[in-house]
Amino acid sequence: MKIRNLLPALHKPAGRDDDHTFYSLQHQMNSLFDDFFTGLGVAPRSLAPGGFGAFMPAIDVKESDKDFTIRAELPGVEEKDIEVTVTHDTVTIKGEKKEAKEDKGKNYYYMERSYGSFNRLIPLGVEADANKTEANFKNGVLNISIPKSTSAKAKGTKVPIKSS
Amino acid sequence: MVEKDMQKTENVSATERIRNVKTFVPRVDIFENKDSLFLVADMPGVDEETVDIELEKNVLTITGRVENGRIKDATMMYSEYEIGDYERVFTLSDEIDREKIVATVKNGVLRLELPKAEKVKPKKIAIQAA
Repeated sequence: MKIRNLLPALHKPAGRDDDHTFYSLQHQMNSLFDDFFTGLGVAPRSLAPGGFGAFMPAIDVKESDKDFTIRAELPGVEEKDIEVTVTHDTVTIKGEKKEAKEDKGKNYYYMERSYGSFNRLIPLGVEADANKTEANFKNGVLNISIPKSTSAKAKGTKVPIKSS
Repeated sequence: MVEKDMQKTENVSATERIRNVKTFVPRVDIFENKDSLFLVADMPGVDEETVDIELEKNVLTITGRVENGRIKDATMMYSEYEIGDYERVFTLSDEIDREKIVATVKNGVLRLELPKAEKVKPKKIAIQAA
């Protein structure tokens, strides 16, 4: 991660004015937070594998009483290249964004999009009902709905306190 | 450093909209071969109905509308991206054959093929023996 900061040419897609003071401040703030969270093992995305400019999907996770909804932006990924796995309290989204073969080796003017395989692990905190999980993929957006298991849905029992 | 590749860039210079949503700049690849220029844009959430390509004089504007699809009665646990429309403007040279532009959308990726006009294609001139 640090190496990237030393090589600005590598992390700058063409056409973006990241040299702006505000962005560099933002950078520093981001890395501050990342370094902090990394130690706790909860960094959501800084530990992304794949190295420079590899594709890593952005995800949104929402929770309701009954279920979780995970949404991920996967533009240009084929349905067959996505794999969603649910273990008792974790969801894994795995896949690969492939560069179209006929596009390889051409003369590029802009190259802002990224490719590569990705793997994101989303801890849910409570037990999920893996059998009732549904996923659909439309227009480059993946939607996963994961119902909570019955035991997870059960709220804690209120214990009456007796006065002695 | 946060994986910047995941971040969407907001388009602050986008034309004013009636829709009260943010507008993002789609990431693009532009490349050419001897016959055409290609423009490939990542616009997750758009389909052939919601993407608009406009060519006025030599200004090519790509817009994509994304319906929010808000999930009700749920709290956000974490959010790494925002949902919004897309807009980006390119200026084309006269060397594009406007009549033959082809656009396709698949899996949230817009692909434009901009064929070069006949007159600008490189021609090899045969040399005749004197």
